[in-house]
Amino acid sequence: MSTDKQNISWSIVFRIAWRNLWRNHRRSLIMLSAIALGLWGMIWMTALMRGVVDQMIDSSIKTLSGHIQIHAPGYLDDPSIEYLVPSLDKSPALQSLLESDDVVAWSQRIRVPAVIRSERDVLAVTLVGIDPAREKGLSFIGDSVTEGDYLTSVNDKKLLVGKKLLERLETKLDRRVVLMSQDPENNIAERGFRISGMFDTDLEATETGYVFAGLETVRKMLDMGPGISEISLLGHDYRELDGLLDKTRSSAPDADVRTWIEKDPYMGSMLAVMDGFVLVWFAVIFLALSFGLVNTLLMAVFERTREIGLVQALGMKSRNILFMVLIESIIMLLIGLAAGNILSWLTILPLKDGIDVSSVAAGMEFAGMSSTLLPAVKWPDVLLANALVLVLGIAASLFPAWRASRKVPIEAITRVWQ
Amino acid sequence: MMTSENNNAVKCRQLSKVFSQGELAVNALSDIDIDISAGEFLCLSGSSGSGKTTLLNMIGGLDVATKGEITVAGKRLDKMTMSELADLRLHHIGFVFQAYNLIPVLSARENVEFVMQLQGIEAEKRQQDAMEILEQVGLAGMENRRPAELSGGQQQRVAVARAIVSKPELILADEPTANLDSENSDKLMTLMRELNSHIGTTFIISTHDEGVMSFARRLVKLHDGRIVSDEKK
Amino acid sequence: MPFTATYPIIVTNTTLTLAWRNIWRHPRRTLLTIAAMVFADVLLVFMLGLQLGQYQMMIDNTLSLFSGQMQVQAKDYLDEPQMYRTIANADPLADKIRQETGLQAVSPRAYGFALASSEKRTIGVQVTGVDPAFEDRVSTIPGLIEKGRFLSSISANEAVIGSTLANNLKIAIGDELTLMGSGKDGSIAATVLPVVGIFNSGNRDLDRQMMEMPLGSFRDVFAMGNDAHSIIIAGNRNMADVYSLKIDGLIKENRNLRLHDWETLLPGLKQAIQADFFSAWIMYALLIILVAFSMLNTMLMSVLERTHEFGILLALGVRHGKLGRIILTESFVLAFTGMTVGVLAGALLTYYFSINGISFPGMEEMGARFNIPPVITPEVSLRTVLPGPLAVLIATVFASIYPIWHMRKLRPIEALQAA
Repeated sequence: MSTDKQNISWSIVFRIAWRNLWRNHRRSLIMLSAIALGLWGMIWMTALMRGVVDQMIDSSIKTLSGHIQIHAPGYLDDPSIEYLVPSLDKSPALQSLLESDDVVAWSQRIRVPAVIRSERDVLAVTLVGIDPAREKGLSFIGDSVTEGDYLTSVNDKKLLVGKKLLERLETKLDRRVVLMSQDPENNIAERGFRISGMFDTDLEATETGYVFAGLETVRKMLDMGPGISEISLLGHDYRELDGLLDKTRSSAPDADVRTWIEKDPYMGSMLAVMDGFVLVWFAVIFLALSFGLVNTLLMAVFERTREIGLVQALGMKSRNILFMVLIESIIMLLIGLAAGNILSWLTILPLKDGIDVSSVAAGMEFAGMSSTLLPAVKWPDVLLANALVLVLGIAASLFPAWRASRKVPIEAITRVWQ
Repeated sequence: MMTSENNNAVKCRQLSKVFSQGELAVNALSDIDIDISAGEFLCLSGSSGSGKTTLLNMIGGLDVATKGEITVAGKRLDKMTMSELADLRLHHIGFVFQAYNLIPVLSARENVEFVMQLQGIEAEKRQQDAMEILEQVGLAGMENRRPAELSGGQQQRVAVARAIVSKPELILADEPTANLDSENSDKLMTLMRELNSHIGTTFIISTHDEGVMSFARRLVKLHDGRIVSDEKK
Repeated sequence: MPFTATYPIIVTNTTLTLAWRNIWRHPRRTLLTIAAMVFADVLLVFMLGLQLGQYQMMIDNTLSLFSGQMQVQAKDYLDEPQMYRTIANADPLADKIRQETGLQAVSPRAYGFALASSEKRTIGVQVTGVDPAFEDRVSTIPGLIEKGRFLSSISANEAVIGSTLANNLKIAIGDELTLMGSGKDGSIAATVLPVVGIFNSGNRDLDRQMMEMPLGSFRDVFAMGNDAHSIIIAGNRNMADVYSLKIDGLIKENRNLRLHDWETLLPGLKQAIQADFFSAWIMYALLIILVAFSMLNTMLMSVLERTHEFGILLALGVRHGKLGRIILTESFVLAFTGMTVGVLAGALLTYYFSINGISFPGMEEMGARFNIPPVITPEVSLRTVLPGPLAVLIATVFASIYPIWHMRKLRPIEALQAA
């Protein structure tokens, strides 16, 4: 028997595959466009959905949640002044953790339910005493004051009120309002505030729900001693908080320490649902593509029965023929993917400042979203989309390729003789 | 290269092929006994359905016998696997078909190089051999044309060039002139005869064209799957 | 036309039969193309059914919780809910609405704000005055009492409050709450009420902020006379147009009154549904386009490989327009076959789930947020079953325009040469 083995003759296999691809250029271009469009759909839609979830999470984290919160045990069930965390100078371990590199930003707050009264109306709000400088970069209030002035210090005696609340109270900047809350002795504490600034956020509920004053001013108003309601802090990545959570718990052993996901399980589940959605969406698009891909290749193989018979008669082995069809498909997939990636990049780039969806702002708010959509391209998603199309595309081509390589016997060759 | 005993290129013993079409069995070949020596220029003649194509298929290792023995280049074909048959075709047999001989996406030179490429011959030698052989068959200057840009006669010449370029022991041609006019047909047959004389390669050509038969040194006539005459000229 | 006898392809009544035979010349290709359409159809039917089923539930559950189908309010109250913007003599109007529409689910309400103090806590609460005789027909809150009971009569001196609120106020059934607020006329409104029930609606805002008391007592405390802030109407949503016509007739003489439907009352709900629907259709459109590409490829192949055949027809004198119609008929027959199978398969699958319900991980949290139960039952109806497959049909038939346009340039001689 013959001793030399016929390995894959890559150069000839590749050359024939490449030229075969362009024999019916219309068909190949249609298939290429479909692959490109499919990939574009995967990347684009995912970027949009990820953007929505990112924004919801960002908005949730910025609405005073932070990545990790520290409260006195019991506070979350009953957010009253009764449950306080001791001031930081009494817990040096926590203080040094907050100042370490693990923490990007942190702040302490007094946070109590209150009632706000203007000349025209009375409404329930949450009064938050803040350290104005520390809130910048941590929560929304640091950069949402659109009219008037932001607070200057913990002793600032003025008040920040949301735009919508201002309307509801039928009052204006620089007017006075009265805030009432309960002091530690269960007496009603009352104090007049001049409205220093108005904040404007995407969510109406935030605008009507909170008013902000200097931390020490609130402490005086409530006639309370040392201690604070909460400490909120930011780590480096909202998905990777386990390490920081452990450290925080060990430096504040008596406190109730939670991450944003524990506080807002809806957001946590959104993240999981999103990952599932991405996979399902990819699968759906790929399946829609695969019908066309298999069809195109089967047609190509069918039309070339005679040629396949010829090269087989000339002594080309099935393995080579299998690869000939596979490589044709791989080239098609690669070009389609390249085009799809370029198309995605070109269509996402102009949108990096966001898509305005304010026409359905109330609906977006209902779902906890803002009225501007920011597509968020995540590299793992892009890689997954590309890899999925390529790998499953090759898998889908196996059947036509196998058909081609099995065509041998007399059937294909008979067509050659005649 | 040639290792066969008694100088036999092809040896058939009681070779039979039965095609079954549903209930019906057709004896395409019945008990063929034939020895073809190396260097012969043999024509297989007979009307369509006489079994000449089937015989060529068997000798070429493209089809398997129902019964009997067949030895080509000293090897028992009836005992080989598909993959071994592919190797045999690649290294020992050249083919010229009636039509659709060439791979449409490859140029004349690339078509000639095709078999050598499968054999793993290096690029430089391949190119040199291909150019030489194309010149020999009178196609110098046309090496870069694709099959669609060549006439029928030119296409068949490329096919012959490809069949002989790797110097196989045996060349099988099934009605190679069927699609050619008589002038081109004569040219092609003359070319094959010359190659037969110069290189000594065995040629087996099937045909029902009297003109082609006149080129034969040995003429075997088939009828209903049996050899009815076998004469040397 | 003399050649009709020899070439039946152009006889109109056999065109369909011929188209049918032509598409089955390549069974595998045709099957794959149909499979692509069926895949898209089934997905679209199912997803649309799921979506509409979910919206239906979201709307029903949200509306039945508190806001009702529609509400009569004083002009401007919706945008600026000030206490003085009332419906004068609301009870007789409510009665008239009951008579006119035949609905019993018509209930007047009044809203106010007060500081509620328990022994330990003081919290600002939203106080709602309701008519216990009718409230359970327009709101599910009376049925969601977790502890104690709902309000007994329109003039009783008692209150029910949300569970989170009860927790924050640290009170139990039987404890008293002191209310301090201001009445319609600006006077001080103050009273002491025992809490007789605690409700758990699942809605965060209601559970945290709301207190309900009998409308009669509310009117006394807040100096409301016989007024109310809104009249809630609930009923079969399909009849909404009829009801609103009748109610409009009743209130049109009073220029101070307005009738609002749920879309106006809860713009967020409607827009959330629209936003979801819109983003879903972007995805569906993409899916449909991909399937159309499949169809385009198949029809183009089928046309290109028959160039010679079409050449013969052209040589026989058949016009290009007729060829175009033949191709169009074939693509329509192919698309229609796909649609028929797709609609049937999609409807069956969706029907199965509409009986058995679907749940997926994460739905419990989402459900709590959007007032939907953790099991969805998709809707199977013409409006869920047809739009998707029809869109696929139109897109795929549309995809055969390119092959037809391509054929338009075909000359008989060239076509005949392309054997």
